[in-house]
Amino acid sequence: MKPSPAMLAIVTDAFGGRGGIAQYNRDFLGALAEAGIMSSITVLPRQAPDLPEPPLMITQMPARLSRIAYSVTALRTTLFRSIDIVFCGHLFMAPLAALITRIKGAKLIIQVHGIEAWTRPSRAQRTALESADLVLCVSRYTRAAVLSWAAITPERVLVLANTVGEVFTPGENSTLRATLGLKGEQVLLTVGRMDSREHYKGHDRVIAAISDLVANGYDICYLIVGEGDDRGRLEALACDAGVSERVRFLGAVELQSLIELYRMADLFVMPSTGEGFGITFLEAMACGTPALGLRVAGATDALADGQLGTVVSETEFGVAIARLLAEPKPNPRVLAASTRDRFGRRAFAVGVDTMLKRLREAI
Amino acid sequence: MCGINGIFAYHPASSAPQETELLRTREAMRARGPDGSGTWWSKDRHCALGHRRLSIIDLSDRASQPMASDDGRFVVVFNGEIYNYPQLRAELEKEGARFRTTSDTEALLHLYARHGDEMVHRLRGMFAFAIWDEGQRRLFLARDPYGIKPLYTANDGWTFRFASQVKALLAGGHVSRDPEPAGLVGFHLFGSVPEPFTLYRDVRALPAGHTQWVDAAGPREPRLFANFAEVLSKGAANPFSETELRERVRAGVRDSVRVHLLSDVEVGVFLSAGIDSGALLGLMRDEGQREIRAITLAFEEFRGTSDDEAPLAAKVCEQYGAHHIVRRLSQQEFVDDLPLILDAMDQPSIDGVNTWFVSKAAKEAGLKVAISGLGGDELLAGYPSFVDLPRWRRQFGLLATLPGLGRLARKFIGSVAPGFSRVRPKALGVLEYADTWAGAYLLRRGLFLPHELRKIMNVEIAQEGLRRLEPLRRLAANFRPDPGSDVARVCLLESAHYMRNQLLRDTDWAGMAHSLEIRVPLVDFTLLGALAPAIPALTQGAGKAALAEAPTVPLPDEIVTRAKSGFGVPIGAWMRVAVSGGSDSIGVPDPKGLVSRRWSRTVLNGASTTGQLELRVS
Repeated sequence: MKPSPAMLAIVTDAFGGRGGIAQYNRDFLGALAEAGIMSSITVLPRQAPDLPEPPLMITQMPARLSRIAYSVTALRTTLFRSIDIVFCGHLFMAPLAALITRIKGAKLIIQVHGIEAWTRPSRAQRTALESADLVLCVSRYTRAAVLSWAAITPERVLVLANTVGEVFTPGENSTLRATLGLKGEQVLLTVGRMDSREHYKGHDRVIAAISDLVANGYDICYLIVGEGDDRGRLEALACDAGVSERVRFLGAVELQSLIELYRMADLFVMPSTGEGFGITFLEAMACGTPALGLRVAGATDALADGQLGTVVSETEFGVAIARLLAEPKPNPRVLAASTRDRFGRRAFAVGVDTMLKRLREAI
Repeated sequence: MCGINGIFAYHPASSAPQETELLRTREAMRARGPDGSGTWWSKDRHCALGHRRLSIIDLSDRASQPMASDDGRFVVVFNGEIYNYPQLRAELEKEGARFRTTSDTEALLHLYARHGDEMVHRLRGMFAFAIWDEGQRRLFLARDPYGIKPLYTANDGWTFRFASQVKALLAGGHVSRDPEPAGLVGFHLFGSVPEPFTLYRDVRALPAGHTQWVDAAGPREPRLFANFAEVLSKGAANPFSETELRERVRAGVRDSVRVHLLSDVEVGVFLSAGIDSGALLGLMRDEGQREIRAITLAFEEFRGTSDDEAPLAAKVCEQYGAHHIVRRLSQQEFVDDLPLILDAMDQPSIDGVNTWFVSKAAKEAGLKVAISGLGGDELLAGYPSFVDLPRWRRQFGLLATLPGLGRLARKFIGSVAPGFSRVRPKALGVLEYADTWAGAYLLRRGLFLPHELRKIMNVEIAQEGLRRLEPLRRLAANFRPDPGSDVARVCLLESAHYMRNQLLRDTDWAGMAHSLEIRVPLVDFTLLGALAPAIPALTQGAGKAALAEAPTVPLPDEIVTRAKSGFGVPIGAWMRVAVSGGSDSIGVPDPKGLVSRRWSRTVLNGASTTGQLELRVS
């Protein structure tokens, strides 16, 4: 391996992007830049709706949304640059990344997040992944999913978990309660997209559960943060369950509000069945709020098999909410520190170092 | 024989291992080591090791495991025997090492401290071990060249686990039981599960002759340290003359027997009326072992017939002054033990029943260690495959290279003569597979052929399994470098495939179930190196004849003559009875093939019952 290799990052979005994948790419590429072991990092995004502000070491090319324009730009960039490592930020882009890797005789790292790996991908994507020198998965579940359809040496498939931002910390929360007009209610919170095609976040399960809990005398308010085309159906569901006044759809919120919401909630709940990881569990716990999820898919990683948060089966979910609401809230600072120990910046940097060590060995 | 296990939570996000899991896995291997047990935890409790002990060398408690070095930096769990331990100890002591036990386990600690990963090149024996380095916080695993001792690993991306048995890993409760299509397909193709696959996707064998290390960056790809092809290739480049064969076989095998007698408990021998075990018994006597108990498995059905091995075995015992124990086996005992046999199989196998009963007999006799003649056919060209494979390659190899001809012929004959294709499915395969050594070997050893899989299993699983297993590429990968002769190629294929995946696995589970250590002097990497120059020129029968003459007093002529015609074993017939409830909708090549095919389904269903694997086949 050259002392300072050059990296090309083929990504959907990173700097100036929104959502979990963009955040992950920023965290990953930022940690690489901070480690100072790359001579250059060139990022090719498909989209960047916000103003990109990459760190000094990183050059981000203009976004190209069209698949053809993107591929042409990527190949043109390839011709005129020295590239030792290709980082592919999404399985859908793996065939292009593999092609560039072959042309340049470089090493290939492919990142797999979650849902894209749940089912067998196209042959081109699978073949590209099987040619990778390293595959990074956000969770053990994603890794297992990849190994279920890819004939790749398992030792090449690593877990590099999501990391929680430094801004998510415990803190004061009484102002927001007053702003929202909350009195003695216990607050449940879910943060996640409401997608009519996916349905996996589990809002339905929470609404059903609180309907039972309210009927049993619990004074509960359920706050839902996030947007999506499934909102209307969920509103109707809450209405049908007789809890519409207890379910509040807050839509998208600013970062500071989100942090305050996390701090204010008594319990973060997301009985999701399809999380690649579940970064919002981490955000909630980093703000000192206990989290509850199902023992399904990547959520078990974010909740550390029940050692950070609580993981239960679907049938136990309602009972678990009642139990956790009845218990005293854990010390927020202790919970936040434990979360950071496993998933904070330092742990993430160790993970990136690990990946680099493996890459050096591969080269 | 012992049972080893460990858990290393290497990922920064992982939780420390639970003691209950460590103990569940360890105790699932109780039969491997009834004499003692132990556990060890690293300071941060992120690495834990477990051990069940069968005491063979240094029977005292000071030799218990896990065993730590004096300074506490290295900790080892070890299953096996290091036969050159006395020599290693002398060398190490000369270098300043101080031993506090007389156990070979301690030598591993000293060797690792001095030579790190390279230590494996100094070991002669059968071994599977793991050494934890507290200083570097890394785990080092190794498995002997032939894969006599098993070692299975599971890595979920956060935590690495290992154990001597697949079922023990599953018993821990944290390893997925999701099926591995390559393992399933491998079982149907060969009658045993080819390593590194198991029936479970998340459990893999550390391949024979490989090392592996694990640190905070996770497990690395296993690294080969003992290359059979290289040894055979070097041998082919420096052949010795035919006249030297007998002397070389005598010297090499005697040396191997000598080192295999290293023990603080009595070493017995499994004795058939064949050449291999008889010669080993003679050499045990030559090496000065005075009291030898020899166990012969005989069958009630054959009492008083020419198929009864007991009288000839008795004659060998008489010649070498061994105490003969004849264990008669009845069909009823086979039927009674069948559930236990299926339960004891760690991975499904269509063989191993004989070893189960002879091990049972050894245990009844109070033996802890027995010598077996396994490996003679592979080393000294005793199998028909040494004749068949070169012949098929010569006769059909060229034709089989014509693209599509084999498949066309199979389909054509299948349509015009369906009876023939049903009775002789493998005969039709010769035009399809004889173009390569790997193909010819698959044809020779195959239980089912790839195109038959869709008749017995889900088509998608079959396709995915074949894609992941790549049986022909995997077999051909053994020839790096090319061993240089036809005999050496077959020797390599038989050793690295049939013996490794079937015979040695059967020896392990069947012996283990009776807390018996089975030693195999003819399966020895040093011996292979010594005889490699002779292998290319071995003609049919010459190797075995040399072995028969290896003891100072050669084996009786009757043994050599009788061995050529072979003995009957009624177990095939008993199996036929045992599986007679099954249907016979798939091809029937011959009565033996029929039984093997049907038996394989019984075995797989047994595995699905005992391993909770949803694999029941029709």
